[in-house]
Amino acid sequence: MLDYVRLEVRRTLRDKTFAIFGIGMPVVMYLLFTHVGAGSGPAAGEWRVSSMVGLAAYGALGAALGCGTGVAEDKSLGWLRQLRITPLPPAQVVAGRGLTGSVTVLPAIGAVLLVGALVNGIRMAAWQWAALVVLLWLGSVPFTLLGLGNGYRLSSQATGLVNTGCLLLLSIVGGLWFPIEAFPGWLRTLASWTPANRFADLGQSIAQGGAPGPTTVAILAVWLALFGGYAVYAYRRAARTL
Amino acid sequence: MTGTTSRVRGPGAAPAAGRAGAAVTFTGVTRSYGAVRAVDGLELTIAPGETVALLGRNGAGKSTTVNMLLGLLPPTEGEVRLFGDAPQAAVRAGRVGAMLQDGKPVPRVTVRELVQFVAATYPDPMDVGEALRLAGLGELAGRRIDRLSGGQAQRVRFAVALAGNPELLVLDEPTAALDVEARRDFWSSMRRYARGGRTVLFSTHYLEEADEHADRIVVLDRGRVAADGSGAEIKQRAGSARVSFDLAGAQTGALAGLPGVCAVEIRGDRARLRTTDSDATVRALAGLDLIRGLQVAPASLEDAFLALTTAAPAARPTKETV
Repeated sequence: MLDYVRLEVRRTLRDKTFAIFGIGMPVVMYLLFTHVGAGSGPAAGEWRVSSMVGLAAYGALGAALGCGTGVAEDKSLGWLRQLRITPLPPAQVVAGRGLTGSVTVLPAIGAVLLVGALVNGIRMAAWQWAALVVLLWLGSVPFTLLGLGNGYRLSSQATGLVNTGCLLLLSIVGGLWFPIEAFPGWLRTLASWTPANRFADLGQSIAQGGAPGPTTVAILAVWLALFGGYAVYAYRRAARTL
Repeated sequence: MTGTTSRVRGPGAAPAAGRAGAAVTFTGVTRSYGAVRAVDGLELTIAPGETVALLGRNGAGKSTTVNMLLGLLPPTEGEVRLFGDAPQAAVRAGRVGAMLQDGKPVPRVTVRELVQFVAATYPDPMDVGEALRLAGLGELAGRRIDRLSGGQAQRVRFAVALAGNPELLVLDEPTAALDVEARRDFWSSMRRYARGGRTVLFSTHYLEEADEHADRIVVLDRGRVAADGSGAEIKQRAGSARVSFDLAGAQTGALAGLPGVCAVEIRGDRARLRTTDSDATVRALAGLDLIRGLQVAPASLEDAFLALTTAAPAARPTKETV
């Protein structure tokens, strides 16, 4: 299975669209958001940190969902079918794809954090940087599963659109681009239940020197179960016709 | 199915012991799509080491048969076995390699990377260099698959099928995108592979290709086995010559019963007989005084194939030969 993960990771990283939109976009947005009209002073300093976490989460989200778009593409190419007539068990193919998603979220997370440290001069303790990477990495799993579910369930074209739609909606409502404090009250309440918001919150609490709260972990666990169930359902349906 | 599906050789005739050791068995296999039966009561046994061509027109059920063989499609009824196991188990055990018809090139991977990856999933794979050489990809090993021509990409799919060094090699219309020279190379590689005692099953809609490269041809027509035997036997069954003459108002009822005749076709006032023994047929016709405008022509392979798989049953009063 590791050979499969290696092959798929290689294929993803060779994709120029992935490099430009998956890694470049969050970095550019981060630089824009923190340098255009952001002012200075302690509030601006805080914004640089929280925006860094938000956009690293956004980048991770994009790569995680993108893994599902890759599955839909492979399905339409007949590559998943070809894999089914190799000795590789189908469960390992799915798990391998999921792991591929987990690996390909790392460049986006790393790029935004690097820009935060080097360009925006953010200073945090070493454990904070490390915990940030690990939590954003683990926290992206529900979104990988959502992307995989869409990839198995939908056609190649539809998956691209639906995953992009999910990415934008979850990112904006979840407050990855703009802080939810700027939202009207009802939307703020709604946002706090969304997976992307709690995903970013994993990182925000670390950046503020604390640990993620139990509510955040619980809400994410529920989303993990939901998206996991959806992925299993979608895979089972697709397996009949692959 | 009167007479039209009689087999020169078939599972019905195979001894029980032979079936137990078979590479492939289809027992009463049917696959329906709604009301359409793509495969209809298929009985087929392939012994290890055989090279078998699955011959049929588009829509005859070749791809459905291949997909069931590979465990990609469950039969509606009946049972498929590979080496005595369920198809998926045989695939998991690495005993099968296949080239599917509709595979498109996998993007952003080089030829070598892909073949190496597939080979590594098998327990006893072929050397990657050897697989690339057999498929004629030696110089293209470092190229990205999505930048190859259609014929080159088809060779990659052949290499992928070979890579695991499987006991059973399944090729679904393997030469569709190949030019003449690539075709020749392909078949010589296929035969070199088959010579090692491996079982090969390929589908095609060219009788010529089947005749030249298979030990045995199974003709599929509307989901059933219409004929099964060596190329020579198939041609014999389909009739080796065509005899035509003017009827001049004569009755046609007795024509099908004349010596050698295996198919009768009436067009206007002219009768065309397909015969396995043109001398005997002509002699009998002379006896009946039916020799006006008589012509005898050798039947081409295409004729033979068309004779075996004509679409409407009424247009095919085919009778037993031999």
